[in-house]
Amino acid sequence: MQLKKRRRGNVRKSLARISAGLLAAALPPLAGQAAAQSYYDDASGTRNNNFGPGFTYSQLDAALLVYQEAGGRVGAIEPTANLSMHAADGRQLSIGGVADSVSGATPNGAVPSNLPQNFVTPIKAQGSSASVTSASGGSTIIKLPPTPGQLATAALGRQYTVPANTLPMDKGFHDHRAALNGAWAQPLGGITEIGVGAGYSRESDYQSITANTHLSQNFNANNTTMSLSLNSEFDSSFPFGGIPTPLSVMNAQWKTQSTRDKTQLGFVLGLTQVMTRSWLTQFNYAFDQQSGYQNDPYRIVSVVDPASGVPTQSLYENRPQSRQSNSFYWDNKLDLGPTVTDLSLRYFTDSWGIKSVTADLAERLNLGSAFYVEPSARYYHQSAANFFHSYLVGGQALPAYATSDSRLGSFTGTTFGAKLGWIVSKRSEFYVKGEYYAQSGNSHPAGAIGQLKQQDLFPKTSAAIAFIGYSWDFH
Amino acid sequence: MQAAPETEASRRITRLGPDYHVSFHAMATPCEVRVETSDAALAERIGIAVEAEARRIELKFSRYRVDSVVGRINAAGHLGLVVDEETSSLLECARQCFDASDGMFDITSGVLRRAWHFDGSDRLPGAQRILDLLPLVGWPKVSWKPPELKLPPGMEIDLGGLAKEYAVDRALAEALAIAPLPMLVNFGGDLRVSGPRSGGIPWNVAIESVEKSGGMAGMLELREGALATSGDARRFLLRDGVRYSHILNPRTGWPVKDAPRSVTIAAYSCVEAGITATLAMLKGRRAEAFLKREGIRAWCIR
Repeated sequence: MQLKKRRRGNVRKSLARISAGLLAAALPPLAGQAAAQSYYDDASGTRNNNFGPGFTYSQLDAALLVYQEAGGRVGAIEPTANLSMHAADGRQLSIGGVADSVSGATPNGAVPSNLPQNFVTPIKAQGSSASVTSASGGSTIIKLPPTPGQLATAALGRQYTVPANTLPMDKGFHDHRAALNGAWAQPLGGITEIGVGAGYSRESDYQSITANTHLSQNFNANNTTMSLSLNSEFDSSFPFGGIPTPLSVMNAQWKTQSTRDKTQLGFVLGLTQVMTRSWLTQFNYAFDQQSGYQNDPYRIVSVVDPASGVPTQSLYENRPQSRQSNSFYWDNKLDLGPTVTDLSLRYFTDSWGIKSVTADLAERLNLGSAFYVEPSARYYHQSAANFFHSYLVGGQALPAYATSDSRLGSFTGTTFGAKLGWIVSKRSEFYVKGEYYAQSGNSHPAGAIGQLKQQDLFPKTSAAIAFIGYSWDFH
Repeated sequence: MQAAPETEASRRITRLGPDYHVSFHAMATPCEVRVETSDAALAERIGIAVEAEARRIELKFSRYRVDSVVGRINAAGHLGLVVDEETSSLLECARQCFDASDGMFDITSGVLRRAWHFDGSDRLPGAQRILDLLPLVGWPKVSWKPPELKLPPGMEIDLGGLAKEYAVDRALAEALAIAPLPMLVNFGGDLRVSGPRSGGIPWNVAIESVEKSGGMAGMLELREGALATSGDARRFLLRDGVRYSHILNPRTGWPVKDAPRSVTIAAYSCVEAGITATLAMLKGRRAEAFLKREGIRAWCIR
């Protein structure tokens, strides 16, 4: 940190003036050349965030994301900040943080019914009734009588009622999350870059610890980069109310088991190739193996009457404890002069039976030297997991695994967005970005029973996402 | 050290991707001009013009030639020489650089090279030898009353720190007068572009590694303006583990200590980039701090 403020750029300005004087005297103005003043004022092209191999510099990125689903569903506000420091010899350290606040209503997994439905969940103050003073989030506190097989003694529970012909949602959803991450990378001997990173994220009912290491090597006069990264993650789920027994009936009792864990190990193999002066292509292959608790502990699946289709029971969902996935990713960046095109395709397949394709297109257009716009579009389609059921039918044998989580169903999502960037100076950029996301699945699956034929079993969802961000490079 | 006579035969023209590339040898260094065109005849006309300008400036300002303006100034000494307008503007530029750099950029410091031979060896001159030469260094000792320059006995000037960069700026102007095409003029690593390639694509310029000749330390993208590099990749002395760069401090007569091995500067003109690079080297271990404070786009290799 410099303690006294020193004059900036005085020598540069004199040298610019002296050379301009010499060249003006000796030669006519250069045709087709920018004027000297515009050379220094011009912020076109990339910002000067390469201070060269001999320079230390830092980069600060700060952004705020606001996410809101339509119909008063989930909303989130997420500020992020990231600082990276680059040393003269290629070493770099970065630290970042995210805080978010999520609230709103989220589907609980049950099907709609032509009759009102009641759902009960545990209340926050376990074993205490004194601290609960009022209804909240559209739910009421009730006293539940002892129930054979469910409640041994009378207990307090939270009950919410969903009107007829309405998608059941739990409106008590509210959480905060904070995450921190750090990474270190440096060249080592003949290796272009070797690095390690770690992260920690915490919500009121979930904790995640990640660690990774990577290696990358440039070949072929830096036109080819191969990279390998190994990633590991250790997550703990400690849901409010405890860990429910899979496929047991939803109730208000605090469960005895409070925590379950999940581990994830994976690797990514990457190849980046400069094809021509204006075309950069990248291939990634990723493999992941997850094992442990992967259920959504709050999510239920309805059991319906085989004749009327009316829900009679709500069971906690269950997912396999093991999941392997393979993902293939191909990205192309094309610099066509006035525009820069980024087109990527991804294919994903996993042992749960999900296959998905993603196509992403973004086109950057410079508007003069200080502004740019980047419209973008994304298409996503996935097939359902083989244990996805919108509902289960009463009287039939229970499957080993069942979920009605729409994220594991078959659906198509499209996103349209636009980013507007303002290059404030060669070292700072301000941007705003807006996106609209729409998702639709099979609302009326064939074979729906009774009243379910009239219900929308995969309601369309849409969300608006806004970003505002600032990026600043400094010494 | 008379430069070997260089002939038209040294000029070569080749097709390189979307460019024609004309190369030749002048000013004791490889020179090139890249022109983005499919017209070979036009590219050759541009190449001839660029080479002619390089040779004109070399003949006019080489300190190795007794018939150059610099040779005649040095020979005339205290008798003085009235110079032409172009020489006058270069000398005036040198004077202003001396003032702007607090006396570190000094075209009279060349006599110190009688004592220093940067050949990679460990032979340092004696301290007395340098003290004997110092009285012959110092721009304020010369009489510069444009257009006449008079040198005190024993003093010399050397425009080597300006001429090559000036030649790049001049040659590009000559070339653009023939055809306003995207082009890059590069004389021994000091270069300037006419603007971006067609479609706004930048020119790629590699920074040569100081470790092994021909290696690359980095790749720069240049859309407009000029680059100049100063360094001691091959010109230095090494004794008792101390590396003496070939950049001499005109006030002490000794090489600058702890200078970066290489400094590459981006600026609007090649002259400005070259002077800035020299000045940064003269700052020694404070080179990076100087460049940062001045807000100059630069790449240093230590």
